[in-house]
Amino acid sequence: MDAAGEDDLVRRTAAGDRGAFDELYRRTSPWLLARLRRRCADEDVVADVMQETYLAVWRAAGTFAGSATAGNGIGWLWTIAAHRLVDAFRRRARQNQLPAVALTETVAPAAEDEVMAARVGQELEHALLVLPPEARQVLQAMVLDGFSVRETSLLLGVPENTVKSRARRARLALREALS
Amino acid sequence: MTTHPNPAVIARYADPAAELDEVTVWSVEVHLEGCAHCRALVAGSTADDTRSLLARVAAGLDDGIAAGPAPVRRPRWSAARHRWVVWHLTPWLTMTVAVLACAVLLQALAPGMPSLVSLLAPVAPLPGVAIAWSRRHDPAWELIAGTPAAGLTMLLRRTAGVLAVVVPTLALASTRTGTSLALTLLPCLAFTAATIALGAFVGVRLAALGLGAAWALAVIVPAVVTAELPAVLRAGSSPGWALLTLTLAGLAVLRADNFRRLSSHN
Amino acid sequence: MMRTVSADETAPTTHPWAVHAQELRVRAGRHLAVDGLDLALGTGVHGLLGPNGAGKTTLMRALATVVRPAGGRLTLLGEAVDGRADLRRVRRGLGYLPQQFGFYPRFTVREFVEYMAWLKEMPKSAVPGAVQRAIDRVGLTAKADARMKTLSGGMLRRAGIAQAIVNDPAVLLLDEPTVGLDPEQRLDFRELLRDLGVDSCVLVSTHLVEDVVVACTDVVLINEGRLVYQGTPDDLTTQGGQGDAGDSPAERGYSALLRRHRAEAGR
Repeated sequence: MDAAGEDDLVRRTAAGDRGAFDELYRRTSPWLLARLRRRCADEDVVADVMQETYLAVWRAAGTFAGSATAGNGIGWLWTIAAHRLVDAFRRRARQNQLPAVALTETVAPAAEDEVMAARVGQELEHALLVLPPEARQVLQAMVLDGFSVRETSLLLGVPENTVKSRARRARLALREALS
Repeated sequence: MTTHPNPAVIARYADPAAELDEVTVWSVEVHLEGCAHCRALVAGSTADDTRSLLARVAAGLDDGIAAGPAPVRRPRWSAARHRWVVWHLTPWLTMTVAVLACAVLLQALAPGMPSLVSLLAPVAPLPGVAIAWSRRHDPAWELIAGTPAAGLTMLLRRTAGVLAVVVPTLALASTRTGTSLALTLLPCLAFTAATIALGAFVGVRLAALGLGAAWALAVIVPAVVTAELPAVLRAGSSPGWALLTLTLAGLAVLRADNFRRLSSHN
Repeated sequence: MMRTVSADETAPTTHPWAVHAQELRVRAGRHLAVDGLDLALGTGVHGLLGPNGAGKTTLMRALATVVRPAGGRLTLLGEAVDGRADLRRVRRGLGYLPQQFGFYPRFTVREFVEYMAWLKEMPKSAVPGAVQRAIDRVGLTAKADARMKTLSGGMLRRAGIAQAIVNDPAVLLLDEPTVGLDPEQRLDFRELLRDLGVDSCVLVSTHLVEDVVVACTDVVLINEGRLVYQGTPDDLTTQGGQGDAGDSPAERGYSALLRRHRAEAGR
């Protein structure tokens, strides 16, 4: 586990150490690239997102060193990349004149009070296999990638209420499968 | 996860063309976020087109870094400093300290007077508390009023900043003039709590003005005229002040909701 | 790193409008600046037009929950904000740039946006990335670590916009955001507005009719505290004729609507 190594690199980058930044890039970019490619088929968009992400790391290194990075592994790096990816999708959605993602008809609220916390394990893997693919996609975007409902609807190109109903279906199915 | 996935699986994950079922992708990704060793494996299994893409991004980074600003180092306490220290209070706190210093001097010059420091102690924090959250004096007031953090907690935080200056000054002044510490600090805290509690109903500024004027008229003027310490400030009244402080603090906390919309009265 | 998805995040949305005002009345001092306003805003960029004294700033303040309404009903993101409501939840989804934008001169741009992000109760780990993203989106990357007292008027305004968007609000309220921006900066700002309007409800109050027509999906015209007109910019241009004052179809439509409203009110 070399999380401490990466924290140290960020700290040195904050001090303006270009070598540390290059080392951070060398260590983390293949992983980030692989992950981004599995969410976006357009290589140009992926390259832009990578560039923006690492530039943001460089410029804001002073604030990253410490609070955001300590003990978080490199989840914080994915969070930056994820938001830049959503911004790229938003720009594309607008330029293609796609309509704004609108809410569909309203529905009465259901009484649900459980919080879903997922951990990777054998049961979860089996449960995920059972899910329909659209529900799994929504779950991956929200739970694994950390997107909000609005961001997920932009990414997948479906209305917000559809995202919510698929997430609810996924939770119910998972709860059944895991119990 | 302590068990690493098969290196072959990682190699397939790294290759965007390779088909991999979603569930395996999920497990691999969760694992990779925490394991640098397997991330290095991903780096090791890069194809030529991946390498050229990474080189392209690196070149873009070179240009971006050359064009843009360099990272700026910041001391760790800078964020806390911005949250707790309120710069626009400085003139008011300086004035408070100056007034207390004058009180100490006057006491030394005219020892027959009742303790000026303990007479002034209750009203010492009031200017600071009144200004701490004030539309006229806080330049960013309108911005802050619409945020989730605006409320009793923020007012208390700023009041703590005021007390951090006033209380040591009072302590110093009272030891200089030989007054009992409890008799200067407890009334000070009681009046601060009273201002905040009353402020929940009429606004903190009005509460501070009202309490200050009431104390001046009812206690300070008679004490100076008759040249003797009023009953409320004699020894033995400290438990009363302590009880009053706690009650008023409790009242302020109960009415915490009133502070969400601080603009209603300020 | 996997996060938990809470029940109310996936609960179905019961509110059709992000901002819904019914018979809203808001005081500014003694004067009733907003007097019986009905307004329903959904996703998109809405331009708020009106003459001076029409109540635009007071309306913005009421929507930003800075001022309590004197009467009527106001619902933001499905929650009522008049009376005794829990404002914290609603405020986390709001972004506001006031007309007179005050700041602390000793802060740097980054520190200022970070301070506002902290006040908006954003999760601590998300703050540095969100701050850099907001600064990049408004084009202040080069000045991110400069003190605010060294910035020009246009840059200050952009810093204000940055703090408004840092928490990715579902309802964004901008009062005169283009004051002090040169024409090129105004073009960049329109691009930003169009981006923001894709998935959030943006209300932009401005004096420049052209800004509204080009960047907004919807125009809201208020006068003397009441709603005069709400429709698309194209519909606005059809409201005016050759006889009305103005140098562009939109301005003629604007004058025509105001003229008609004043005539009706005078009756």
